[in-house]
Amino acid sequence: MNAGRLVGGAGMALVLTALTGAAAPAASERDRWFEDITVRAGVARKHTNRVFHNPYAEIMAGYTALGAAVAVADYDGDGYEDLFVTDSAENGKNHLYHNDFRTTGTITFTDVAEQAGVADGNDADNASADALWLDYDNDGRPDLLLVRFGHNKLYHNLGGGKFKDVTREAGLDRYLNAITAIAFDYDRDGWVDLFIGAYFQPIDIFHPKTPRFFPESFETANNGGGVIVFHNNRDGTFSDVTEKVGIRLSGWTLDLGHGDADNDGDDDLYVACDFGTDRFFINNLKPGGDATFTDRTKETIGIDTKKGMNAEWGDYDNDGWLDVFVTNITDDYMREGNFLWRNNGPGPQGWPTFSDVAAETGTRETGWGWGGKFFDYDNDGWLDLYVVNGWVSAGPQSYVPDVFEMIVRPGVDLADARNWPPMGNKSLSGYEKKKLFHNLGGVFKDEAARHGLDSTRDGRGIAVADFDNDGRLDLFVANANAAPFLYHNVAPKTNHWAGFVLEGRASNRDAIGAQLRLTAGGRTLLRFVDGGNGFASQSTRRVYFGLGTAAAADRLEVRWPSGRRQVFAQPPIDRLMRIVEGEDRMRPLQ
Amino acid sequence: MTLRRVFVLSFVAFLAVAGAVAASAFDEAMKAVAAGNHAAALPHFEAALAADPDSLLYATEYRHAVIKASQYDRCIAFFEKLVADHPRSAHAWLNYGYAYVDKIPAAGSITQVILANNSLKQFSQSITLERSWLALYTRGNSYLYWPKVFGRAPLGVTDLEEAVGIARKDAKPKRVYARSFVALGDGYWKTEQAEKARAIWQEGLQRFPGDAQLQARLARQGDELTSYIDDQLDPNKRVDTDLKPLLEGD
Repeated sequence: MNAGRLVGGAGMALVLTALTGAAAPAASERDRWFEDITVRAGVARKHTNRVFHNPYAEIMAGYTALGAAVAVADYDGDGYEDLFVTDSAENGKNHLYHNDFRTTGTITFTDVAEQAGVADGNDADNASADALWLDYDNDGRPDLLLVRFGHNKLYHNLGGGKFKDVTREAGLDRYLNAITAIAFDYDRDGWVDLFIGAYFQPIDIFHPKTPRFFPESFETANNGGGVIVFHNNRDGTFSDVTEKVGIRLSGWTLDLGHGDADNDGDDDLYVACDFGTDRFFINNLKPGGDATFTDRTKETIGIDTKKGMNAEWGDYDNDGWLDVFVTNITDDYMREGNFLWRNNGPGPQGWPTFSDVAAETGTRETGWGWGGKFFDYDNDGWLDLYVVNGWVSAGPQSYVPDVFEMIVRPGVDLADARNWPPMGNKSLSGYEKKKLFHNLGGVFKDEAARHGLDSTRDGRGIAVADFDNDGRLDLFVANANAAPFLYHNVAPKTNHWAGFVLEGRASNRDAIGAQLRLTAGGRTLLRFVDGGNGFASQSTRRVYFGLGTAAAADRLEVRWPSGRRQVFAQPPIDRLMRIVEGEDRMRPLQ
Repeated sequence: MTLRRVFVLSFVAFLAVAGAVAASAFDEAMKAVAAGNHAAALPHFEAALAADPDSLLYATEYRHAVIKASQYDRCIAFFEKLVADHPRSAHAWLNYGYAYVDKIPAAGSITQVILANNSLKQFSQSITLERSWLALYTRGNSYLYWPKVFGRAPLGVTDLEEAVGIARKDAKPKRVYARSFVALGDGYWKTEQAEKARAIWQEGLQRFPGDAQLQARLARQGDELTSYIDDQLDPNKRVDTDLKPLLEGD
């Protein structure tokens, strides 16, 4: 290519501009830091809600507008993050979108689910609800758990783009109306364990033999599916240890989130529950101690009666303690408000306490909230927050009076599905605008409209990942009964960043639960390796730091799940680096 | 002495005794309150109210102690029995409704709706017995707390217009009447009658100079005013159901 051609090209562009009247992007477009590339990237396949065929189908339709989920991992190890996206229709295919950036140089995906053997996740007895990548056998290849109303499916990654259903061999073939799953190594034996949250109790909701399977209360329901814990036996199988580890719940679980709340080296658990109290479990693991959990809800967050839907952990205020963001319902008819649980650190009894600072930080009201994810979209070193919302966007009539008519009926048995009014074509908290909360240093300002992220589709899960490895975090949003969004981050590259992929040796291979503390520009930032937190979604397990204008990083400390600590002086910035547990030097990600 | 005269004298004597019993129980209750022992005060208040179910003073002090002791369900159960025993007592029905309202901030969002709905039923019963300023203002104001989708604000406006009408006619207007002007304006605002809202607030301020609630509304416009009113009508905040200002007169 020569200079003349370049000039010619530019000249032609000017001529075309004059002829077509096309102008330079308007100021508002120039200020927009996210670009909707859903169609161009080849990931625009619509999600479809499940339609039931039973006597309660019309009623269930309104309460099962779920199942739009997304999970991120580089399943083939080519250095670029791929996507698994669910559908929920009876004959709907799930999608494994391979990221073709390595070959195309642009963010484009090819759906390889059929070839890989992971497309068939829906049938008359099962509906996809969520998905989770986890390397349960520590072979370096992310395996895939398909979370379903019905029977979950565990796909073993065989390499070469192929997967094998190993659910039965793994001991996971069991009826659960599961809606969420996370993986972390609660007992720090070097293998990730599975925590599954179930919404309905384990009865066949596709062919229910009783009408009494709906929530018994709007505020204290305990007839849901609860939480099930599977311990990884290190031989490709799992054992149910729910009772043994002290997690006894029967609420309507919507999300699970793990994080080390007290910085004691093991991960604690937040359970977000619909129709009742969220739960907080402290991990009792100590040297020589047992790997059990204690329910410290009262002491840490208190008893609530809200509709918890999302449990996302992150240090939003950069004080070195992980905080938790939980969505609830805030609308004209129900003003619950979200929780932003600020971690106050351990109190005198040893466990941490949290204060809800959603109101004062400006993150309290996001409508009928679903997924909410922390991510630093402008790399200024402060975790921002994207929240999606909206329950059912249908016709102009509101469903609210119908449901409230039921609520105020004396003696109504809420557990009986027959008492619930069908939603029909009515809307309930529909057409709500999504929120992008820009972190201004501990308080937030909604910038969704500015960046074109204020869609009104019924959002569910959000996956944060850097699909072109440029250090700017992108978003994939799974919407219920609608096409998803892939938002490419095109923010100005004025701020620096650092990114790390961790590989455990004594620790679990994916280093889930590792904490990283990076010092740069006079501040130390805490991030951690996330094992699937956030409703209906899994973000990247890579760890990114925004550095602001700091042109170098001074120090990186890695606290591995095994307990090993490693310190790296002057880690490289503005590129992705791989760190292997126990190795002194980090290497660029290939 | 005729039989009729015996009956009348007996009834007067009964009232006197009942009044004395009520006053004595109320004194005991207030002693317990003064000592900070609100739970201990409750049975005394209940005895006082059982003897004098129409007393607004006893009821308001009782409910205040209930709030302090967080004994909401006890209070609701008590008034349920009281109105069963005294179905013609308009004030008992009114306070039965307030008992539900008092519990609202301590309840979850769905229970709040049930409580609010129950309170409206009791307020309506009180109005059936007596269309007083207090009952009309109370029910009218309650309607304004309901989300727009339920369409109850116009019902509130109707009640509040009647309450304001009573206030205008009272030869000895009480300062507490200002609240009905505030609420009626809020009702107009919620039903998108901005000019009428401002007019009624201005009238209220002329009648009750210096009223902070009226001034606060008149000092705001547009979204700021909407936000202010929404904040005032937040069901998560405790509604002032103290009736003592009404008893103080002025």
